[in-house]
Formats: sequence, structure tokens, C-alpha cells
Amino acid sequence: MTTPRIDTVGFFDSLATEMNAHPETYEVLGDVDMDIALVMRSEHGDFRVLLTFEGITCAGVNQIGDGDERTASCWLEGPLDAWQAMFDDIVANGRATGRQTINSLTLLGDRIAVHGDDPLGVDLFFRYNQTVQAFLDGAAVVAGAPAGA
Amino acid sequence: MTGAYENLPAETPMGAPLDWLWLRGAASEWGVHPKPSPRGLTMMDVAVGAYGEVPEHPPRRTMSPRGSDIEDPAPDMGYILNTKSQVWSDNVRELYEEAVARQWSATRDIPWGDLQELPDDIEHAVCQLCTTLSEVEMIAADLPAKWMWRMNHDFLEAKMFLCTQIMDEARHSEVFRKRALANGGGLLKSRGGTTSLLRTILEAKTYTQASALMHLLGEGFILDIFRQGELIAPTDVEKRIFRMAMQDEARHVAYGTLHLRYAIEHDPDVAEEIHEALDHGEDVLVEFGSQPDLTTAISVLLAGGVDEIETKGFPMQMQLTVKLLTSYLARCERAGLNRVQRTKLPLDLLGIDPSTFSPAA
Repeated sequence: MTTPRIDTVGFFDSLATEMNAHPETYEVLGDVDMDIALVMRSEHGDFRVLLTFEGITCAGVNQIGDGDERTASCWLEGPLDAWQAMFDDIVANGRATGRQTINSLTLLGDRIAVHGDDPLGVDLFFRYNQTVQAFLDGAAVVAGAPAGA
Repeated sequence: MTGAYENLPAETPMGAPLDWLWLRGAASEWGVHPKPSPRGLTMMDVAVGAYGEVPEHPPRRTMSPRGSDIEDPAPDMGYILNTKSQVWSDNVRELYEEAVARQWSATRDIPWGDLQELPDDIEHAVCQLCTTLSEVEMIAADLPAKWMWRMNHDFLEAKMFLCTQIMDEARHSEVFRKRALANGGGLLKSRGGTTSLLRTILEAKTYTQASALMHLLGEGFILDIFRQGELIAPTDVEKRIFRMAMQDEARHVAYGTLHLRYAIEHDPDVAEEIHEALDHGEDVLVEFGSQPDLTTAISVLLAGGVDEIETKGFPMQMQLTVKLLTSYLARCERAGLNRVQRTKLPLDLLGIDPSTFSPAA
């Protein structure tokens, strides 16, 4: 199984489609109201995407410009290779394992860190963490691996 | 409506008089037609017209539903929290709906069947951590229960949210107790330092002081412990426990942070009252947070066992402690409290730069 290219809107559109196709998974996790940005830093140019979660859907995937992540409730930022390692782990195992869960990565904060201008915005990431993790775990299905394998 | 229903009986079959006021036109708002949001009819949706107006100083001390046609006199329920700023936060309706939507079951939603036999030191460390957590979690149920019946019933949504918090904390005590017992271990050490912290919270003189100690300080601390728990959990079972509990705890912290902000904005004098509570609370929290049973258990989990506790466990724990205190001080700023200039927490020793915190608004 190969991880698709992750620094594209198309990849995150696929994750959104996967989430929106499985309300039964997200209903039990509960509603979400949050804009969260992901920033993947690369020497070839950074990639920034704004994810809009409403209820049990991902209602928006939009590429954003430098600094626009500050308009989100919070943002997750790290080098592209750290994001690649996280998604590779998801694809290999069907979901994030060990210290590759998004909460574990951001807690250590040495590779991918959570930022926000408002601590309550950052707290949204903790309040909705299970949903965010399930959304990211969708990469396994997008790549062709069974989720939760 | 008033002219209708003219031929109704004036007495019950038993002879009791009937006025039919509820049918002939009560003096409350009728026909408000709240529009359900896509997820259903929420408390935000029904906060319309008079029903959405939460008075700053409710005129009554009864359990009459806010917005109803209230006939006086009614018995005084003995409420002492009769000012909105004493209990309210601007996000309380949303948090209530979120809490209801994100309830989970410690019996059903944790994959208990996936527990694995762990190295002896790791199992002991998990059990010690669960023992402490099982002990401290119920304070966040006892404390709202102590104050809720004293809150004016016009602040219904705040009381409803606190009900969800009580349920959350019962579930946390449950899940950590279950985990301690479920994998061949059991409950381990419980010492006086923990009870000292809990007693400080429970004995706060005002609800706002209690909220500062519990939501901002205590639950903020536990929120970060839960985040660490997911990082250091030896199996997916514990990971799921900590991740689910973390979501609940973050709601409680969000309520407390904005309650304190609301309280300070509407009564600036209350800031000093909160500071005084936190002056003492931080001292007790440091005592609790540095008690060897908890710190060594977490360090063993961070190190993956006792062998690397000094080279790996203790340094990692120190790093996480810095994050924990930084988060706490940032939440204080968001609540409108500048603790950086006042706290006796050893910021220099921990390498926390006070200038990274913007002055409280």
C-alpha cells in the first residue's frame, strides 16, 4: 500500500469524502464545529489547508495562503516529512499507532505542533480530538487499506 | 385566544375550582416556532424571544421555568447564586449540546477485550496512574453538586451543563477503576496529598473561586495528564480511554475559562477573589503534582519501563510539565487573569518565559 501524495487539496478532499460517507462512524463521536488548518513546511514550498468541520461532516477543504492559518481556531504545523511519516503509519496499520497519533505528536511538539492565538481555540483540538484522528485515519481507506486493520 | 373555550366546567368532578388560565391565555410568549438546526433542535435554537433572555438578576428564587407565566407567591428555594455573572459563561449552551452529543460508555466503547499482558513495571505504573485519577476525578462531580442546588433556576443552561460534567466525571472514575482492575493488577497507593488538593477545591468560599480551582487549575492539569496518557499508553485500550476522557475534560476547562472571563468582565472586583484562590491552589497543586507516586508512575510510562527512568522518563516528564504550566497560564490570560506577575510557580526553574504571555484583557 502506498500513501498518496499528501500535500494536495485532492488528498484532503478524499479524506472529507471518506468522512462524509460514513456518518455512522462519526455520529458516535459527536458533533464538531471547528476550522482547523494544517501547515506542511517544505523547502519546495509550504502547503496549507483549512479544514471546516460542521456537525459530523467535513464541510470544507480549502488551500490557504501564508499566515491565513491564523484565521482558524487552531493549526497544526510541522515539516512535510513528519506529516508523511504520520500518514505512512496510518496507511501501514489502518490507523495511527504508537506515537504517531495526532495528539501524541502535538504533545511532544518537536515535529508537529498545535498552535493558536486563543487557548480556547487550541482546546477545541482536544475537545474534538477523536474526530480529527478518525478523519486522518481515513487515509488508510483512501490508500486502499482497510480502516482499523 | 381569550374569548375561546367559554363553556368549560368551573369545577373538577371533586368540586375543586378551575380557572383554565393555561388554556385561555397565559401571559407568556406563545408561538415562537424555533427552527431546528441541521443536527436537530438545540438549546441554542430554543433560546428565542423571552425564552432566550437570561436575566442578570432574576427576581425570583423559585424553580419556575424561565419564560413561563409565573404566579406569585411561590416558595423560596434558598438560592444564593442569584447574579448571572456568578455562574454563566457565553459558551454554556453550546457546551451542553456538545456534551450530550459526545457521551460515551466506559463499558461499551473501550475495547477491553484487546488488553494485553504487560511487563510488571508497566502494569504497576498504569495501575498507579489509574488509582490517582480514579480518586481525583470525582471531585469534579462533588463540587458542582455542592453548588448547583444553590444556583438560581433562571440559569438553567449552566446547571444543565454541570449535570453533564457530573456524568462525565462519574464515567472517568469508572473507567480508571475498571482499567486498574482489568489486566491482572489493581488499585495501588493513595496518600494524603491528593486529598489535600481535593479538600481545597471543595472548601472554596464562592462558586467562582471553586470554578477557578476546579475548572481552570485542577481540570486544566488533569486535561494535560490525559493528553500525556494517550502519548504514554502502552496499548490501544489505554490510548482510547485517555483520548475519550481528554475530550470531556477539555469541555469542562472551556466552561470554566469563559465563566471566569464573564465573571471578571461583569464584576472586576472578583478578579482579586480568584487570584487569592489560585495563590493557594497553585501551592497545593504543586504539592499534588510533585508527589512521588504520580510522578514516578508517569515517568516509568514515558520511559517505557524502569530501566531508563533517569535518562528518559524524568527529562520527558519535566518537558511535559513545562507544557502543562504554559497551557494553564495561557488559559488564565484568556480568562482575564494575569497570573504571570503573581504566581509563585517556579517559572524560571522550568525555563518558562513570562514575556510569552500577553497581558490579560
